[in-house]
Amino acid sequence: MVLLRGFLVLVVFFLLGEALRVLVGLPISGGVLGMVMVTATLMLRGRVSDQLAEASRGLISVLVLLISPGVVGVFFIADRFAGHWFSVAVALVAGTLLSSVTTLWLMKKTAGDRTRGHSHD
Amino acid sequence: MTEFNGRMQELLLVWTAGPMLSIALTLAAFMAANWLFAKVGRPLWMPPVLMAAVILAAAVAASGIGYETYQQGARWLTVLLGPATVALGVPLYQQMHHIRALWRPILCTLPLAASLAAVYAVGIAWLMDAPLSILASLAPKSVTAPIAMGIAEQLGGSVALTLGGLLITGVLASVFVDWGAKWMKISDDRMVGFALGLNGHAIGTARAFEISPTAGAFASLGMGLTGVFTALFLPFVFPF
Repeated sequence: MVLLRGFLVLVVFFLLGEALRVLVGLPISGGVLGMVMVTATLMLRGRVSDQLAEASRGLISVLVLLISPGVVGVFFIADRFAGHWFSVAVALVAGTLLSSVTTLWLMKKTAGDRTRGHSHD
Repeated sequence: MTEFNGRMQELLLVWTAGPMLSIALTLAAFMAANWLFAKVGRPLWMPPVLMAAVILAAAVAASGIGYETYQQGARWLTVLLGPATVALGVPLYQQMHHIRALWRPILCTLPLAASLAAVYAVGIAWLMDAPLSILASLAPKSVTAPIAMGIAEQLGGSVALTLGGLLITGVLASVFVDWGAKWMKISDDRMVGFALGLNGHAIGTARAFEISPTAGAFASLGMGLTGVFTALFLPFVFPF
């Protein structure tokens, strides 16, 4: 019952997110809107119930399980992208290398400014 | 013998009429991947999601039920990605004190780094003449899967290609962030963790938890913030 109550909260927030997406016409998925609404609600309440924490931990721990049927698709529709595999591979390898190094550099620079006392807070 | 073959055909039809065969295959592949991952010493370049996908693809091909039939049954599991995305809001709330404590460097790094994670890959693919549907599939490559699938659908990309790119990006980011941190002499777990989560989503976050709990917490933060930022802004700026 404990898990089910938390799961019900998550499903209701997902439905609310879908409602917001359709009624306001936002180009963002209902799940993301539900996530933002959950975070905002928890911040307003100032605490998270055990049931909700337990249900969310459970779902997050099986994320790999929920993702894997989608990943399998890449092996079966590979032929649709046959002509573009090389550009996709280069974009992924070079793009990820560049963005990883850029993030580290930005973090080092902004955090370094803090320790040198340039920040105003 | 022919009667036996007929019975087997009938059994396959009965089994694939409902989703249970797909669910059993997916669960079994997930558990086998977790077992194998621990058995071979948790290698960085072969995360459980990649193992699970390879095992599952082999099982689907060998069982002869066909990819379309498998996918129909697996929908009973993948619909849970909706509430799973909502569930990410809970750790995001639990990490809120970290955001408050380090809001300046996080706020300075996040928009630029999260945008560049998409721009680098889309730019390179565009320079190499990849079509629009591929650019749309690559754009959310650094975003955690349930959010990325939603973004790819909104932009008109292929969910399967997005997930493939996502998987490769997560593995590469785990390796590249480690190299980059060594090369730039960064030993602060908070920075390394944030970079892992921002670029490598859930796979990078799993790697960060192996470094230290602090790195793991900052990776979750980087993953969550990148997901929200990209989901909120990419559909508005994607130029087509």
